[in-house]
Amino acid sequence: MKKGKIIILGSGPNRIGQGIEFDYACVHCVWALKEEGYEAVMVNCNPETVSTDYDTSDKLFFEPIVYEDVLNIIESEKPDGVVVQFGGQTPLKLAVPLQNAGVKILGTSPESIDIAEDRERFRELIIRLGLKQPESGIARSKEEAVLMAEKIGYPVLVRPSYVLGGRAMRLVYDTAELLQYIEEAVLVTEDKPLLIDRFLEDAIELDVDAVSDGEDVLVGAVMEHIEEAGIHSGDSATCIPPYTLSDEIMYEVKRQTRELAKALNVKGLMNVQYAVKDNQIYVIEVNPRASRTVPFVSKAVGYPLAKIASKVIVGRKLRDIVPEVFSIKEAHPATDFRDRSFSRYSIKEVVFPWNRFPEVDPLLGPEMKSTGEVMGIDEDFGMAFYKSQAAAGSVLPEKGNVFISVADRDKPSVLTVAKKLVELGFTIYATSGTHRFFENSDVPSVRVSKLSEERPNVVDRIRNGEIHMVINTPSGKRERSDAYFIRRAAVEHKIPYFTTVRAAQAAVEAINSFKNRQLSVKPLQEMI
Amino acid sequence: MPKRTDISRILLIGSGPIVIGQAAEFDYSGTQGAKALKEEGYEVILVNSNPATIMTDPEVADKTYIEPLITPVIEKIIERERPDALLPTLGGQTALNLAVDLYEKGILDKYNVKMIGANYEAIKKAEDRELFKEAMEKIGLQMPKSAVVKSVAEAMEIIQWIGFPVIIRPSFTLGGTGGSIAYNIDEFYPKVKAGLEASPVHEVLLEESVIGWKEFEMEVMRDKNDNCVIICSIENLDPMGVHTGDSITIAPAMTLTDKEYQMLRDYSIAVIREIGVETGGSNVQFSQNPETGQFYVIEMNPRVSRSSALASKATGFPIAKIAAKLAVGYTLDELPNDITKETPASFEPTIDYVVTKIPRFDFAKFPETDPTLTTMMKSVGEVMAIGRTFKESIHKAVRSLELGRYGLYIGLEKEDDETVKEKIVTPNADRLWYIAEGFRRGWTVEEIHQLSHIDRWFLHQIKEIIDFEKELSEKTLATITDEELEKAKQWGFSDRELARLLKTTEERVREKRMKVSYKVVDTCAAEFRAFTPYYYSSYEKPFGIVKEDGTVELVFDTENLEEK
Repeated sequence: MKKGKIIILGSGPNRIGQGIEFDYACVHCVWALKEEGYEAVMVNCNPETVSTDYDTSDKLFFEPIVYEDVLNIIESEKPDGVVVQFGGQTPLKLAVPLQNAGVKILGTSPESIDIAEDRERFRELIIRLGLKQPESGIARSKEEAVLMAEKIGYPVLVRPSYVLGGRAMRLVYDTAELLQYIEEAVLVTEDKPLLIDRFLEDAIELDVDAVSDGEDVLVGAVMEHIEEAGIHSGDSATCIPPYTLSDEIMYEVKRQTRELAKALNVKGLMNVQYAVKDNQIYVIEVNPRASRTVPFVSKAVGYPLAKIASKVIVGRKLRDIVPEVFSIKEAHPATDFRDRSFSRYSIKEVVFPWNRFPEVDPLLGPEMKSTGEVMGIDEDFGMAFYKSQAAAGSVLPEKGNVFISVADRDKPSVLTVAKKLVELGFTIYATSGTHRFFENSDVPSVRVSKLSEERPNVVDRIRNGEIHMVINTPSGKRERSDAYFIRRAAVEHKIPYFTTVRAAQAAVEAINSFKNRQLSVKPLQEMI
Repeated sequence: MPKRTDISRILLIGSGPIVIGQAAEFDYSGTQGAKALKEEGYEVILVNSNPATIMTDPEVADKTYIEPLITPVIEKIIERERPDALLPTLGGQTALNLAVDLYEKGILDKYNVKMIGANYEAIKKAEDRELFKEAMEKIGLQMPKSAVVKSVAEAMEIIQWIGFPVIIRPSFTLGGTGGSIAYNIDEFYPKVKAGLEASPVHEVLLEESVIGWKEFEMEVMRDKNDNCVIICSIENLDPMGVHTGDSITIAPAMTLTDKEYQMLRDYSIAVIREIGVETGGSNVQFSQNPETGQFYVIEMNPRVSRSSALASKATGFPIAKIAAKLAVGYTLDELPNDITKETPASFEPTIDYVVTKIPRFDFAKFPETDPTLTTMMKSVGEVMAIGRTFKESIHKAVRSLELGRYGLYIGLEKEDDETVKEKIVTPNADRLWYIAEGFRRGWTVEEIHQLSHIDRWFLHQIKEIIDFEKELSEKTLATITDEELEKAKQWGFSDRELARLLKTTEERVREKRMKVSYKVVDTCAAEFRAFTPYYYSSYEKPFGIVKEDGTVELVFDTENLEEK
């Protein structure tokens, strides 16, 4: 006899921002519920998935995930509860309407989800817990926006309140850019206000996935983004454990995560994004549900988080599901599931559809554009990064010429990168400005011409196969400059290119590791 | 015949990161394949770089490598694990390309690894344009006329043979840049010249245009005893010129006569035999001249593809699982159909419903890009819906998309006629809704067919929906009859769309309308008993009620429906 019947709502069609990760989480939920003795009923409409294999769940309904069709199934099946936290936004949107129709939502309550998603209620929670958030405001007119941005201080992140997922979000550096954005891209009105957030320049961003049973909270992993703040978390390469943070910061991040999980009475999974700047920790957002990093974290630490969370949802306690984790004497600063001796780097890198869209500038920004991800695993950070790049289709060069062109504010930090590359035997190519800067800093470089100068220019050289890697950071302006053509040429000729200094630093470390170590492979089953 | 005992360790290659054109369907196929091989007692060594997959869960395979899918890494894994065989047909183009590279570099030979599922020659024959053309000629199947030219003079000569319209594709340009279509000799000259210049090797492919022709796909499987079965036929609603991954597709094919269907069946089997896919599944694409009925072979994939995933879900026939078992020596007649348990996998699935797939696009993320649908795939996901009729099926697929659309109305009445026409002529993500708008404006099936080349059968269906929509909009919830409401639900109108038309709320419509009925996806159109609890809904009578044991009971008496 089954303990009961539970419906799991799937993630619907794949799209940028909601991909296969959510199907992974749903399948794990189904497996866990079956293990626990429940009848697991799956609802999904995406033929590309494992969740819609007829032998995954006890029952499969191939149906649209909208109110009408889901409620029909619930009326027919009369389940003991419905799980909405694994399929991304698709089922989450239905949580409140279904609850209003008398359906029992299992796990974290729709009320808690609302607190996390409502700007005002969330701000109150952060203040109550004594945590920090970047300053922010809402502007209902152009004039108000200008005053607000000045009060918060540039640069600011702006976006219209009515779009989700980073759409139409822009980083602006001054009033002129703000006005241009308002005039070109959005309409600011009383009922369509503009959201303005302080942008923490050069901050390090963190993602944290945790599981909570209402009493205990276990942090799956604290992840450090390779790219700095300002890049959508789904588009940033990510490292477990953090590779530049102090233990103190990580412990504090874990503490704040526990506070948030308890305050929101999370039962199941939770994802928190933080930014760290000058040793201050800022909470960027909280999502009390499965995030896209859950499979990555699960494979990095060796514990299936979604499965554990599913067992919590049906009432089991963490202490009872993973007792061994609670007997760890000293947990690793980045994960509660491993002790301090855990020493393995897992790096997630993403892939973009640039080659499908030849008109698009292949730049990272606050709006997510990647379609998929890969993972590189190694004991050594550099090697893990090397593998992640190779897996994403960008095999880093061992020798040759590297073209460097960076925004003025990145010049000091790119210097160490350039020096290291020279040490590794690379030749640096640069256009006049950067070339002069390198010359003054005693870094040898070869001057190459810009697009407007004599040919062969830098793009000709990329096309001729003379350049083996490109480091090019944007200056903040979005017009079709030389940089655009350089980036496009790099994409079209499949040359590794990096648009942030932090990624370039990681790449140099990767090349260094690759030259000094053997590429080795190991199956998950042999990783301790 | 028993399974092969000369092999015990099998290497399975996944498809890597999700990219446009190669997505989650290969997690489905790899997971099924790994499970099937383990079930047979083989040791499965799996490699994939994508951590977001079920197949890379440590329980799925015996050894799971999350490593880059590049030849030196795969070689290291082969060196370490010493597999006896490599199954490259479940991991999309990525796995197939790697298998070819491993073979050509002598790595498979060096470590004595056999390729199973498809061999090197078959892969080459299917993928090399010239070899494929020769193979098709050999079995008497036609392909669009084509030739590679290296100069304008050569092109002017070849065009006499190919005729107009002709497609000009420069070789080795990214994403088909520099490609064009010429309708007459005056256009042809400058376009060929531009194409030759765009190509880094100064070479263009000239190809007879089949734009506007109908497009069909057949999913075919073959075992080592040369038994072949057709799993599913799929028809593209969008005519040739739109990548099948970007097309609305329907299964089974709707507009073929039985005679034509049997022809495609024979052709598909001839193709898989001639190409030499010894065991497993393939996908063969055809186009049909709507005027003459003549068929051309377009291409074949000697592996499990996106369409196989769709065909599997559409029929309940697990193509990847069966392909894996055929690869290790089983034959179709030896493998049971999980769903019926009685029938073997050599029974071709029969379906008594209509399946619609609609792709999902994300153009809003890339505002600079051209949203026209072409032969290069641009969609990022898809939905599938099952209904008893095309009308119900397409309505369900539309609301599955999660675009906030609950029917064929998206408020296009303000657009001028020219825009609507243009959006019907040029394939785009919203074309279906523009066609509906065209019918609202009183345009005829013939007019819209001339603009879109979409088969008149589909257009009639859409027109009937719109005609009925008009009738409904003249009613209210109080004045609509039960029969009309029933018809609306059977035609797939959502409660939400009906609420709009009847000027009421979704809840009110829900209260008044008929109950839903459930049906089983059983691979055999109810000829045998089904054991698999795989369901879809339909507003149809008699009512199908899902019982506690998973079977569906038919209820004719609607009065007592509540108690059931």
